[in-house]
Amino acid sequence: MGNGPIRKRNHAAVQWQGKKRSARKRRGFKLLGILDVQNTPCAREALLHGAGGSAVAGLLHFLVTSRVKRSFDVGFAGFMLTTLGSWFYCRLKNAKLRVQQRMVQEGIKNKILYEGTPLDPTNKPRPSGPS
Amino acid sequence: MAYPLQLGLQDATSPVMEELIQFHDHTLMIALLVSTMVFYTILTSVTTKLTNKNMLDSQGIETIWTIAPALILILIAMPSLRVLYMMDEVNNPHLTVKTIGHQWYWSYEYTDYKNLEFDSYMIPTQDLIPRQFRLFDTDHRMVVPTDSPVRMLITADDVIHSTAVPTLGVKMDAIPGRLNQTTFVVSHPGVFYGQCSEICGANHSFMPITVEAIPLIHFEDWSTSMLAKI
Repeated sequence: MGNGPIRKRNHAAVQWQGKKRSARKRRGFKLLGILDVQNTPCAREALLHGAGGSAVAGLLHFLVTSRVKRSFDVGFAGFMLTTLGSWFYCRLKNAKLRVQQRMVQEGIKNKILYEGTPLDPTNKPRPSGPS
Repeated sequence: MAYPLQLGLQDATSPVMEELIQFHDHTLMIALLVSTMVFYTILTSVTTKLTNKNMLDSQGIETIWTIAPALILILIAMPSLRVLYMMDEVNNPHLTVKTIGHQWYWSYEYTDYKNLEFDSYMIPTQDLIPRQFRLFDTDHRMVVPTDSPVRMLITADDVIHSTAVPTLGVKMDAIPGRLNQTTFVVSHPGVFYGQCSEICGANHSFMPITVEAIPLIHFEDWSTSMLAKI
């Protein structure tokens, strides 16, 4: 009997913590305070690809030339090019998907509107001939 | 709707605003990369031990830093012009709403079928009921049907106002003696808020715009009830 109210309070506290955590997740992380990386489509992938490309380019250059500063410059250039490339590729793919999505939505709406009428695109023309 | 300390755009409720958000993200990423590059360049310049007192010019780098910004600007301009022309497309509106700005309230006229006109005043803070938003809610809302292109004709009665609803991607000046036109399509039902966006006097901050989007069948019921009331 003594544990009942305390157990309920703890359960409520755990639920509240869960809600706070999920609210924090939804808020997203703003890179340099401006770009919301989690909620902007393609941003997270582009930055991760950029980080990977930068590390690979810089490391390879250093292994070949043993020049530290120049390798940092190459790594930075690799970051820029990989991020840009990944970003544009992902955005283009998303844009094509959105166009297709709109066409499908339009098609579904038209099908519902025109079903059973002469304008129904799924109506097959009847073959003409002697009755 | 807007929340305190908000930095980004509100979620889109119209196809045009979706495209604007896409363009904004695209330009922001480019701006972020350019800023990072500038920061890195400054850091490198400040920390380098190399000095060359005889350098006057360098054709190579000057070519690069002329052509690269031009390419970046083209990459930004192309989607920008695409969205700009998309916003100006005429798409057979199903409804026309006339919006007139006054000091300090908005009035709306639905004159397609019958003459429905009403004023929209902000609800004062002391008269708010729970669940109403301070400085945003109005006594009468501009009601529009969802999934229907709506044409808005905007003008003003006295001084210049501006009607803006960020989530719909709508912002248009209301200029006395001039009729401005904009169109929008609301994708899903809801209540959307905006505020006057051109300084117009003492109560410029207290003349919000409230748009309520409802399915077409309920829109017909609403217009009938409003006509009966008026």
